[in-house]
Amino acid sequence: MITVEGVSKRYGQHLAVDDISFRVDAGEVVGFLGPNGAGKSTTMNIITGYLSATAGSVSVDGFDVLEDPDQVKRRVGYLPELPPLYLDMTVREYLRFVARLKKADRSTVVQQQERILELAGIGHVRNRLIKNLSKGYRQRVGLAQALVGSPRVLILDEPTIGLDPHQIIEIRNLIRELGHEHTIILSSHILPEVSAVCDRVIIINRGKLVASDTTENLGKRLHDNSEFRLRVAGSEAAALAALTGVAGVNEVSAQGTVEQGTVDLRVETAAGADPRRAIFHALSEADLPIYLMTAMDYTLEEIFLQLTTQDAAGGAAPESGDNGSGGAPDAPDAPDVGGSDA
Amino acid sequence: MIAVFLRELRSYYFSPIGYIFMGFFLLLAGFFFATDNVLRSNPQFQGVLSSIIFVFLVIVPILTMRLFADEKRQRTDQLLLTVPVSVTGIVLGKYFAAVAVFLFTLLVTVLYPVTMSFFGRLPGWEILGGYVGFFLLGCTFIAVGMLMSSLTDNQVISAVSTFAALLLMWIIDFVQNGVPAGTVPGIVFASCLGALVVLWVYLATRNLIISTAMLVLLATLIVVAVFSLEGFYETFIIDFLAWFSLTSRFQRFMGGVLALSPIVYYVSFSTVLVFLTVRVIERNRWT
Repeated sequence: MITVEGVSKRYGQHLAVDDISFRVDAGEVVGFLGPNGAGKSTTMNIITGYLSATAGSVSVDGFDVLEDPDQVKRRVGYLPELPPLYLDMTVREYLRFVARLKKADRSTVVQQQERILELAGIGHVRNRLIKNLSKGYRQRVGLAQALVGSPRVLILDEPTIGLDPHQIIEIRNLIRELGHEHTIILSSHILPEVSAVCDRVIIINRGKLVASDTTENLGKRLHDNSEFRLRVAGSEAAALAALTGVAGVNEVSAQGTVEQGTVDLRVETAAGADPRRAIFHALSEADLPIYLMTAMDYTLEEIFLQLTTQDAAGGAAPESGDNGSGGAPDAPDAPDVGGSDA
Repeated sequence: MIAVFLRELRSYYFSPIGYIFMGFFLLLAGFFFATDNVLRSNPQFQGVLSSIIFVFLVIVPILTMRLFADEKRQRTDQLLLTVPVSVTGIVLGKYFAAVAVFLFTLLVTVLYPVTMSFFGRLPGWEILGGYVGFFLLGCTFIAVGMLMSSLTDNQVISAVSTFAALLLMWIIDFVQNGVPAGTVPGIVFASCLGALVVLWVYLATRNLIISTAMLVLLATLIVVAVFSLEGFYETFIIDFLAWFSLTSRFQRFMGGVLALSPIVYYVSFSTVLVFLTVRVIERNRWT
């Protein structure tokens, strides 16, 4: 449905987007993830034809964005980072104006408008001036604007920004619902949002595509050695001594004390091994009761931090698939992405 | 284009801008009508239009300052440029909306000559000519303002630069007499212009070959003109400046002459400015 091939965008000396290629198939909901300034908005602006790429090509439904801009624009509904609202219009007037701009079918405009007002949850403010609406409602009007003309592709740049938690859930549900009939690209730096809504995640950092895969696959890729977090009642030395030599345990490191009289440990296991039973017996023998044992499953946050910081440090590319032996860097302790990006 | 036109027109009358423009224009038209026509019992209404030109320099920027500057500031250009409407359509829609506000305001002043016509004979053709000329002049001013508005996202800068550009064109009539005439200054001036064009070509293309070719071509033209066109450089500076003198063409209409050449001049001047605005908007995508 959407094909992006070798797209680069240069602003003077600054390379905002660097040779990005990806495909989005019809009906997919794809999350576009990256820290601030990674090039998410620029890429979206290029797909919608607002900006032109310095190099590379973009096509939507087989139409090139430079050669057939009209055909592309007919198929794409766009919600930019800042909703493009005319503050001096009422919601209804604004949506009618957008419908005219998009040359929507006149016979169905009114009917469709009712549906969009309802979908976006702005029916009761339809006669209010946009100027007088709160940020959350403006965001919804922006989303409604993108839906006008029922485009097959929706491009949503940070659709939940500025909304309260309740509204965020509503908009997420709406996007999930829209995903049944539209192909959607949405960008975000809120990771749970992406993992909640999207089939697939495209991670970019500093203008480069870092990874593109489903959430689970991304996790697997970075997750060769499973890890456990343990909280054991007893002294650090005793716990470490009890765990050394347990079959299937590669490495144990102390993580300090959170609860009084206990110690937190990180246990790295050998590939394929499940030493939980052995750990239980070893600690039980040493009279060190286990208060807590959890698997360190990577969240999207951690994958994201890992991928983006590795890239920033010029480390091994995740595509090489060999980052297990050295031990994956502990994600929560990884340097601040925002700082290294600035 | 029609959607953009209607929205723009609507926003003029749902915001103070349309009213400020109309109010100011009509206030001054009324003032000049009172002092020139009523108090002096003078039927020459076109004189009133001529007097308004100076004020017009100040209020056209009010009309045009937000056309594109505000779209950029509010980021609404992201909507306009991502819907299936051509840039030309957007630019024309906005241009005609501003022209429509101006035309409507101008038509209100028709009341004055109509009122006068009850009390005596009016120089009808001269007044009609004055209106046509003033309308064309206004359309050109608006095109200048629109171009300025497309170059910035700040309404104040847009308004001030429009005013400066219009003022420059207005004072050309006065400075024309002061510029040096003669062959040598003419050649020097032509060379400077040629150098500027070449510099612009180089900055736009960053291509030495094209720039050099352009330089050679222009230099040849300048030299050829020295020998082939007698007296060309004698008044070159004056003639060049006269191209940009919008108001001098207006004088011919006031005599009641509907000559083709000033009409063509105004229309083509506006067309070029509208075209330049389209180019500016399209260029923004590439930077």
